[in-house]
Amino acid sequence: MPDELTPVPGEARAGTESGLVGAQIEPNHSVPPVAGAPKPHPILVVDELTRSFGGLRAVDVDHLEVERGVVTALIGPNGAGKTTLFNLLTGFDRADTGRWSFDGQPVSSPSPDQLARQGMIRTFQLTKSLAKLTVLDNVLLGAPGQAGERLSAAPFRSRWRDQEEANVELADELLDRFNLAHMRDELAGTLSGGQRKLLEVARALMADPVMIMLDEPMAGVNPALAQSLMRHITQLAFEGLTVVFIEHAMDVVTGISDWVVVLAQGRVIAEGPPWKVIHDHQVIDAYLGRRRAGGGS
Amino acid sequence: MDFDIIFGNAARAAFGPEAVILALAAIGLNVHFGFTGLLNFGQVGFLLLGAYGTSVSVATFGWSLWVGILVGLVLSVALAVALGFPTLRLHAVMFAIVTIAAAEIIRILIGSTDAIGLTGGPLSVSFDAGAFYDLNPYPDGPHDRYGVGTFEFTGQQMWVITVGWVLVALVSLVVFLIVRSPWGRVLKSIREDEDAARSLGKNVFSYKMQALIIGGVIGGLGGVIDAIKTSGADPNGFRPQVTFFAYTALLLGGAATYMGPVLGAILFWFLREWIESFLRQLTAEAWLPDAVADFLSGSEGVISVAMVGLTLVLLMLFRPQGITGNRIEMQLDAR
Amino acid sequence: MWMRRLLALAVFVLCFVLAWAVPVSAQSGSEADSSQPTVLEDTLRVGFDQFFAGVEITVADQSGASIGRAVTDSQGQWSVAVPVAGTYRVSLDQSTLPDGIGLREGFESIVEVAVLEGASRAVVFAVGEAPKGTPFGDRAAQTVFNGLKFGLIIAMSAIGLSLIYGTTGLVNFAHGELVTFGAVIAWYFNSSWGELNLIVAAIVTMIVCGMLGAGLETGLFRPLRNRRLGIFQLVVVTIGLSLLGRQVIQLFFGAEPLPYTDFQVQERWEFGPWAVTPRELMTVAVIIAILLAMGLMLQWTRFGKATRAVSDNASLAEASGINVNRVVLMVWAIGAALAGLGGVFQGLDTDIDPFLGFQLLLLIFAGVELGGLGTAFGAMAGSLIIGMSTEVSTLWISPELKFVVPLAALILVLLFRPQGLFGIKARVG
Repeated sequence: MPDELTPVPGEARAGTESGLVGAQIEPNHSVPPVAGAPKPHPILVVDELTRSFGGLRAVDVDHLEVERGVVTALIGPNGAGKTTLFNLLTGFDRADTGRWSFDGQPVSSPSPDQLARQGMIRTFQLTKSLAKLTVLDNVLLGAPGQAGERLSAAPFRSRWRDQEEANVELADELLDRFNLAHMRDELAGTLSGGQRKLLEVARALMADPVMIMLDEPMAGVNPALAQSLMRHITQLAFEGLTVVFIEHAMDVVTGISDWVVVLAQGRVIAEGPPWKVIHDHQVIDAYLGRRRAGGGS
Repeated sequence: MDFDIIFGNAARAAFGPEAVILALAAIGLNVHFGFTGLLNFGQVGFLLLGAYGTSVSVATFGWSLWVGILVGLVLSVALAVALGFPTLRLHAVMFAIVTIAAAEIIRILIGSTDAIGLTGGPLSVSFDAGAFYDLNPYPDGPHDRYGVGTFEFTGQQMWVITVGWVLVALVSLVVFLIVRSPWGRVLKSIREDEDAARSLGKNVFSYKMQALIIGGVIGGLGGVIDAIKTSGADPNGFRPQVTFFAYTALLLGGAATYMGPVLGAILFWFLREWIESFLRQLTAEAWLPDAVADFLSGSEGVISVAMVGLTLVLLMLFRPQGITGNRIEMQLDAR
Repeated sequence: MWMRRLLALAVFVLCFVLAWAVPVSAQSGSEADSSQPTVLEDTLRVGFDQFFAGVEITVADQSGASIGRAVTDSQGQWSVAVPVAGTYRVSLDQSTLPDGIGLREGFESIVEVAVLEGASRAVVFAVGEAPKGTPFGDRAAQTVFNGLKFGLIIAMSAIGLSLIYGTTGLVNFAHGELVTFGAVIAWYFNSSWGELNLIVAAIVTMIVCGMLGAGLETGLFRPLRNRRLGIFQLVVVTIGLSLLGRQVIQLFFGAEPLPYTDFQVQERWEFGPWAVTPRELMTVAVIIAILLAMGLMLQWTRFGKATRAVSDNASLAEASGINVNRVVLMVWAIGAALAGLGGVFQGLDTDIDPFLGFQLLLLIFAGVELGGLGTAFGAMAGSLIIGMSTEVSTLWISPELKFVVPLAALILVLLFRPQGLFGIKARVG
């Protein structure tokens, strides 16, 4: 999708509304819209995080806080370091320097699986659906604390059957919510690109996250499904989940996010409520500068 | 040309101890490669330790055979742990090369003259497997035979293959039970995409290690049967191609299926022996030109192993899912 | 050459097999024959063709009382009957060994052997050329030269593997068989069919191997790439080819070692601590020249630049007008030709047998990995290190264990520097 700088207020009413009502803490009024602004109840606090790839500094964040229970959008031109930042925070890449804390716990040696078990669940830009597992198995894999995942219990069905049945019920609900119920027993590899995106989000939700980090969740998803996904995301925030997502489409960003963080050349150049940020000249420059040089996204 | 003899020989090989050993090696590989995606090219190392652990315990240290078997299996676990810790984080092909190298290192060390006092070195080791045959319920007189026509075994052979196939069945059952569980689901997710498994909180390293140990011990069990069958072990019996034979069996039967490795091992030995027997009968035919007969005679074994190589190539080209696998699953494998 | 001879000799062992013919227990049935005496026996030999006659063997029990004595016959065979199971001392009278033959360092002339009921035990005295007391420095210098030569052979054989991996991502397990193929084809032209001069035979071999490589690419691997076969399937195809190739070679050339007709016996030239044959000097010089030429070609010619571009990013190279398929075809042809030539040199150094290439394959992998996968220069440097460490290790460890060193090095490198010694860490994410 092209980078749209014009907000689409009418379309996104529902989302914004539930965002406004849903967030227990309303950052828009109390938090100044400046880069690195402190938040009242941060779930994630990042300090002096850097990562370079041969001379090129991909991420260089002085200070960043993510507020608990709200929907934060991470935007920026291509190559701004959004995905790299995700990779660093979730332990999939090693930072050169820096420290961060998640849910009050300092993250000292980040390992992806450990962070995931603490409730930081992410999805990937290039979907990682497990092609040769069924759609249902894909979602079931997300369930946390499964007794049957321990080798000592695995051979004895009686020791994990009840939990499995409960998980199947939950998974079916999720599949239903994401319009995948009819594909339940198909191999995930047979899904379309958009369906895989949805499957990945469903799987991530199955993991019962505290904070969910979605890397371009709407890309390639057809508009109707994207609409329903957006509703889900705002609903999740309403239920107390923290959502961070990377997105290029500005209508989506203004539609569902409560807060927007703008990244350019690895730095946080601006943050604030969506309607303020999209009029920020620095942000416009960052995008336009990119346009002049590279010709769009 | 006597097809009864050819068929009898082939059937004997298909259900004989060699097929049991290959089936166990392939079941182990199935846990490694089929379910977890670990490209273990050093499976022969596990067989070697199973066989030598048993043989050396009895022959050199004079321990009982049962202790020896235990030693063989413990050594297999030790190899899995020693191999896994440094290498499980490696890229698939790198892992393959390291495992093949590790198995060769073990073979060279065990087969060296420096190790003669312990393992018999290049001269192989032999021991008395009487403790095993004492339990043989089959009458084993000089004229006792079991089977029909040329498809027959002696009482001793019957005992080895009975125990062997029961073991294969038990091991297959255990693999089935653990793989159909949520534990097995995690293994398969690692095979499909490690990072996805990680992002959902699975400790990928730990699961890979468990799979490596389980598959290794199953391979080690194959080595134990090998040692009992031959009452000893020889370093030349554990060359890298043994691993590739196990892969052939696994891919023939169908990787990531429960019965695939067993069917594959049976089919592997049936075809190999069939070809060899057929060629042997062929060279005796009068109508065959002398030049061709001369060329073939004595080379039957070489040709049958060449056919194994050809089978691998053709399998990958035309039926990568094996005889029991699922075609659609294979097509999703465009990685 | 004497150094290598000594190494080879030392590898060969003298064997005393204690064959224990037991009264067969009940379940062994018909074979029971309690009248058969218990004997200690073996054939005394070096390799498969050199037997030692007239060597005295004495067997004593643990108290030192002599049980029996034997002298080897013309086939090196001897046997001593012993009365009961137990522990015996078997000793070899070194003074009866031929001149220049002795026990290898660290091996005793008396060995205690425990014989268990129903088991046969094996004990070996390792003999070889008697240590001549060569100064350590000289031996070190010689092993360094051997290592250089071996490393160069690996390096030349490795170029193809590395470039093919770089340009197509294929890990070719059949590369070792290309090496073997080169060795046997040259033998065929040199010793069997044409009786061509080995240098001519080697050139013909390179052409034949190059054509084989090109044929494999056009006939098999290009269609497979177009069919988008997975990496695992491709690897399995090469493993199948490796088995097939080795067996076919064995079918036509047998499993027995083959020698070349030319350059077998040559006088050594002395250079300080080094004693080398003209053949060895030629090997080293030719390979260095070829490696330099390859380096220059990759660095400066259009083809070299295209190869590096394809290695870097095949689709980008394709988009910028490079004919990727032609580059890959050339890489296959050149790589196979060099592997074949590597086989010729390796065959000159050792004997030619069907496992020659497969044995080298693991060392080639080690060299390529050590240098960083997919970079030709890294592969050359890595191979030299592998060859050197293999040979130099024989200063301290038994030569039959020398292949353990490069394989262990391979594992260690993968452990601590998976990108290779000279590789650059790939960008993650």
